[in-house]
Amino acid sequence: MAKVSVRFYRIKNKLKEKTLGLGPVDDDDISFDDDLMAKATAALEEMAEDYPDWVGALIQQLSDVHRRCVDTPEQRFQHFEQLHAIAHDMRGQGGTFGYPLISNFSDGLYDFTGTKAATTDKNVEIIKAHIDAMRVVIKSRISGDGGDIGKQLKDGLEAAIKKYT
Amino acid sequence: MSNIDLSRVSILVVEDSQFIRSLIVNSLRVMGIGSIQSVDHGAQAIDFIKLVDEDPMKAGMMGIDVIISDWEMSPVNGMMLLRWIRRHKDSPDRFIPFMMLTGYSEPKRVHEARDMGVNEFMSKPFTVNALADKLFSVINKPRQYVHTASYFGPDRRRQQLPIDGPDRRVLNYDSLEVEVVNG
Repeated sequence: MAKVSVRFYRIKNKLKEKTLGLGPVDDDDISFDDDLMAKATAALEEMAEDYPDWVGALIQQLSDVHRRCVDTPEQRFQHFEQLHAIAHDMRGQGGTFGYPLISNFSDGLYDFTGTKAATTDKNVEIIKAHIDAMRVVIKSRISGDGGDIGKQLKDGLEAAIKKYT
Repeated sequence: MSNIDLSRVSILVVEDSQFIRSLIVNSLRVMGIGSIQSVDHGAQAIDFIKLVDEDPMKAGMMGIDVIISDWEMSPVNGMMLLRWIRRHKDSPDRFIPFMMLTGYSEPKRVHEARDMGVNEFMSKPFTVNALADKLFSVINKPRQYVHTASYFGPDRRRQQLPIDGPDRRVLNYDSLEVEVVNG
């Protein structure tokens, strides 16, 4: 007899029973409660209002760690790891709360602080340029793409990166 | 109109960013999810999953219906957690629906997660509607699970599309090498 090499498991959908009951339900009739969806969206928006304060605290942390990169260069490897972790925390979130520039800049910071990043003085300067740009975004509450100011910030950061690489 | 009642659904949220975590938990709560627990990273998730299996009263959750997990976490990330759930001998439920939430949306990443057995993939920034859509798929459009030498997880073919050209598949449901398990 041939050896079974592929198994398909068709298991009972307990989740459907829990949420829709045991009776037959027409797929087209199923939906989430519109009121609850609207409430959840409103709750998300309300929480988003706290985002600038929250991210402001993270930018301060970045700034503190950057200072330690300057003061204790022999420990830069650990400092870069810290910066990398904070940048990671920030990068997926800016867009959710209407600050895509924060996501953009923390993405860049994430790349410049990865495990393969050189812990040179030049890279420490590039890190500072990223933090400065983020600080402007939050201080001036530059949401969306930021229009002309947003473009200036991006261009300024790119120029700084070019200068130090 | 038959609306989904989420009050008996239990979800485990695995996310290292406190802000995002509270955001997901809050959104789920307002959507009507009955029971939500959250942990910081994959290692805590594994401990919690084991605890729910061994002592649900102590865990404060009778079972876990869905896991929503971030990808990039330390020390155990979302992919390692997913691998443990799908493949480890100690995993109490290898079929548990798993939604990966991530800042990465490159196709390579999506394929990587898919090949590890993810059910749904959600890239940040997320919205309540996106969250609801993915939950809807998990609840209402579950896929059969496939076990081969190199894969275990939901069937990666979501649709049955007509084949344009000769059918070169070696096996089909009637083959002796194929077993269908109904449970």
